[in-house]
Amino acid sequence: MSRLSEVFPRRIDLKLLAVVLLLSAIGIAMVVSTTAGTPRGSLGGRQAIFVLVGLVGCGVALAVDYRLLLRYSPGLFAVSLLPLVYLPLFGPRIAGARSWLRLGGGFQIQPSELVRITTVLLVAWILENDDRPFLQRKTIVQVSLAVGIPAVLILLQPDLGVTLTYLPFLAAALFFGGLKARWWLVLLLAGAVAAGGSWFLLKDYQKDRIRTFLDPDLAARGAGYQVRQARIAIGSGGILGKGFQKGTQSRLGFLPVRHTDFVFAALAEEWGFVGVAAVITLYGLVLSRGFAIARDARDRGGAMLALLVVVDLVVQAAVNIAMNVGIVPTTGITLPFVSYGGSSMIASWTLIGLVLSVSYRRFVNV
Amino acid sequence: MVESAREDRRPLLVRIDGLAVAAWAVLVVLLGVYWVQQVLRGEEFQRQAENNRQRSVPITAPRGFILDRNGVVLAENEPSFSLLLDRNATKDVGASLSFVASLLGRPLPDLRHRFERGRSTYDFVPVLLDDNLSVAEVGAVEAHALEHPELVIQTTERRIYTQGPATAHLLGHLGEATPEQVAARAGRIRPGDAVGQNGAEAAYQDLLAGTSGLRTFVIDSFGREVAELDKVDPLPGNTLVLNIDLRLQKIADDYFRDKVGAAVAMDPRTGEILAFVSSPAFDPNIFTRRVSKDEWDAILQNEDHPLNNRVLQNVYSPGSVWKAFVAYAALQAGISPAERVTCHGAQTFYGRSFRCHGVHGSVDLPTALQVSCDVYFYTMGKRLGIDALADAARTFGFGRPTGFDVGPEKSGVVPDPEWSAAARKHPWYPGETISVAIGQGPVLVSALQVARAFAALANPDGALPTPHVFRMGEHVKTGDRYAYRPPPRAHVPYGPGVREAIVEGLWRVVNVPGGTAYGVRVPGLDICGKTGSVQVVAQADTKKAHLLPERLRDHGWFAGFAPRDDPKIVVVVFVEHGEHGATAAAPLGARLCEAWLRPAPPPAAPRPADVARGAAPAEAGRDGT
Repeated sequence: MSRLSEVFPRRIDLKLLAVVLLLSAIGIAMVVSTTAGTPRGSLGGRQAIFVLVGLVGCGVALAVDYRLLLRYSPGLFAVSLLPLVYLPLFGPRIAGARSWLRLGGGFQIQPSELVRITTVLLVAWILENDDRPFLQRKTIVQVSLAVGIPAVLILLQPDLGVTLTYLPFLAAALFFGGLKARWWLVLLLAGAVAAGGSWFLLKDYQKDRIRTFLDPDLAARGAGYQVRQARIAIGSGGILGKGFQKGTQSRLGFLPVRHTDFVFAALAEEWGFVGVAAVITLYGLVLSRGFAIARDARDRGGAMLALLVVVDLVVQAAVNIAMNVGIVPTTGITLPFVSYGGSSMIASWTLIGLVLSVSYRRFVNV
Repeated sequence: MVESAREDRRPLLVRIDGLAVAAWAVLVVLLGVYWVQQVLRGEEFQRQAENNRQRSVPITAPRGFILDRNGVVLAENEPSFSLLLDRNATKDVGASLSFVASLLGRPLPDLRHRFERGRSTYDFVPVLLDDNLSVAEVGAVEAHALEHPELVIQTTERRIYTQGPATAHLLGHLGEATPEQVAARAGRIRPGDAVGQNGAEAAYQDLLAGTSGLRTFVIDSFGREVAELDKVDPLPGNTLVLNIDLRLQKIADDYFRDKVGAAVAMDPRTGEILAFVSSPAFDPNIFTRRVSKDEWDAILQNEDHPLNNRVLQNVYSPGSVWKAFVAYAALQAGISPAERVTCHGAQTFYGRSFRCHGVHGSVDLPTALQVSCDVYFYTMGKRLGIDALADAARTFGFGRPTGFDVGPEKSGVVPDPEWSAAARKHPWYPGETISVAIGQGPVLVSALQVARAFAALANPDGALPTPHVFRMGEHVKTGDRYAYRPPPRAHVPYGPGVREAIVEGLWRVVNVPGGTAYGVRVPGLDICGKTGSVQVVAQADTKKAHLLPERLRDHGWFAGFAPRDDPKIVVVVFVEHGEHGATAAAPLGARLCEAWLRPAPPPAAPRPADVARGAAPAEAGRDGT
């Protein structure tokens, strides 16, 4: 006991923990601010519960040796895919997508978020096993499949937002694993062809989002409404913001999905540029701490694990922040730790638990 | 395996550092974008956010009342009650509609139809079910407020014209602002406003309308009101007091109940209009509710054209009334009033025989006026020539608007060779001068022009007053008054004895046996006047005559003033197809003079005629003041 209390704080990366806790606290505050006093009531309490469950997931991920998890990752991955296969076929349709599994007590869970954990583990494990300066062709195929299979299954639900959160895994894995120039070229071309081809696969509302992204004034009241109102919310926040629960855009309902996808716009409105700068800095610190942990990791698998997780979370955050201000199309990517949502919160905290675990076990002799 | 991993670290570390730099760069760029939006463009977006959430709705100011010169209310505002259904407050719309149908006795399909028409709006916007509810109906609805909270009574103000048709042409009415009116008074009149159309309501729109207030409130994204931010109360409009004397107005209106024509009474000294009637009229109150198609069609299809303002906008031949001004031209030209002309019942001028309506023998000027001898005036016309006649007419203000403060006027026609060349493109025929001398031919005048010209005969100094109904504007709150400021007046110049000779003739018309209006004399009042009859079908038009046989009768005129020595009232009465001015028009003229000069004690009770005439029974009691 005495040893634990001595060792625990020294070995846990408290800076990373503190930054993520702070982001979660900001998230709870924003969920309160955007939902308190609305007809369905405040969701702040639920969000706090999600954070607590997330902390439990974080603790579990920290308690188990990540090396063990890496070794069993193919099996974990396979098991976790089962609900993703089940959902598009038999899942309940909620808001037009079969993304959710109903649990008891009014709670429901989004398996696609939890599969992110097993996917990260599997990709890290694949990279662990190819430690040359540049990736072998076999490894590239393996990584692509590990990311591609869940991504395609989630796209079938369909849930474009979550699907896109898988792409950073692939990009980060290939970047950190090492890829020769000609491979990047092939990848770039393939990406361009896929992007062009996917236009024909997109739903009308998704096409609208891209059109309105290109021209927000196209239909101020129609499809461009969200983007426009979000911009007004952000811009009207000014330097210091309008104050907690004082944002007219979010409180009066002009800002769409203001506690999930557009929570950052609500934050920008109420806390101003100061709040924006603070939150962006916090994500920067997540990145820096994660990268530092990767540098210090005991092994290649741990380093890859930390890198994949951090890149995924920060890319999500950056895309969401860019989407809020309208410089990338609206995709349904949420802001990690801040946006309202249980599955995403628990998965993100568990991923942070894996990073903390890598840090915790950085010394060979543990 | 661990050892080998360590050896391979270097490329990975390079990549980590590279990506860290790139990632921070991306975050800094994002920060820059937010800086631009929030700090550089912050004010612009703050304005947009305010526009988003704030709505301002003007509050219409209560319109000023219109009173007659004695303070009797002619136009006022009355609360009007509408029944609305709030869909959010009822679970069963059908049951609510059935309840309204049974409570107020309205047909259920009508209510359903109105509900369906209104339901396309947001469901928190109440739907209008019925308007113009009676006080009793409002009470019935409010008695069930607890069981039926979805039924909402909305109170608005409605313009009420207490005298109905009797003041229709004088007051005009309210109507939705036309795009031209909105453009002409930008800022003061908004689209959808009810503004004065015609009459005093239009002429004194700015005075009556007041200044609207403004209510600013916060709305949510559905347009629902969340909170009130600011409220500026409207400034009520001014009370408009007219020169009209309702007693005279009603006497004239009653007289014209079964006649078509116009009557105007005026104080010759000031130009104050005491009565102003054009018949037939219409009930201006139909415009303050929604005009039904049937009501509107009835007005438009009425052959007597109730919308025509016969005092101002219809011009007629003056007939023998004109002889007063021919007499002026003759006297001013130096012809003695005592000079005699012999009437044999007809006389030939320029090779054509011109008939008189009688055989008057030897007549001087006053006698010629008294008996309305045509031959005397034919002779004068030939001697004076058309230019002298036209000059005299213009001196009395004919051929141009009188400057009346309400409503557009027609100028009429004072014919002369110049006019003939310009308007008809053919030369003036000397024979026309003979016709013009008795007020026939191409001469056209309005009743108001005749009234003003007779005022110049009534006034010893020949002053030509500007007719006006405006007496005073008074602000209900501040008590500020706007008085009438008379424009400079022209004067008709009289040579020595000229006016006296004409007035002697006009006095004899009414007060000496043989005068054309001797039948309407009122002992002691010394009414002076002139009758006139106008052929409806000119000789050139006889081919058409058989098409309208019932409309062949002549128009009748009477124009006069009283009392002779100190004229205080000028009256002009025109009765379409009244046949003779003496019988059709003069009686009303005499009655107006008598009513003005010898006011009867106020009647104690409302007369039943008022009730019958469409004024609401509740308003009839106000006449007694």
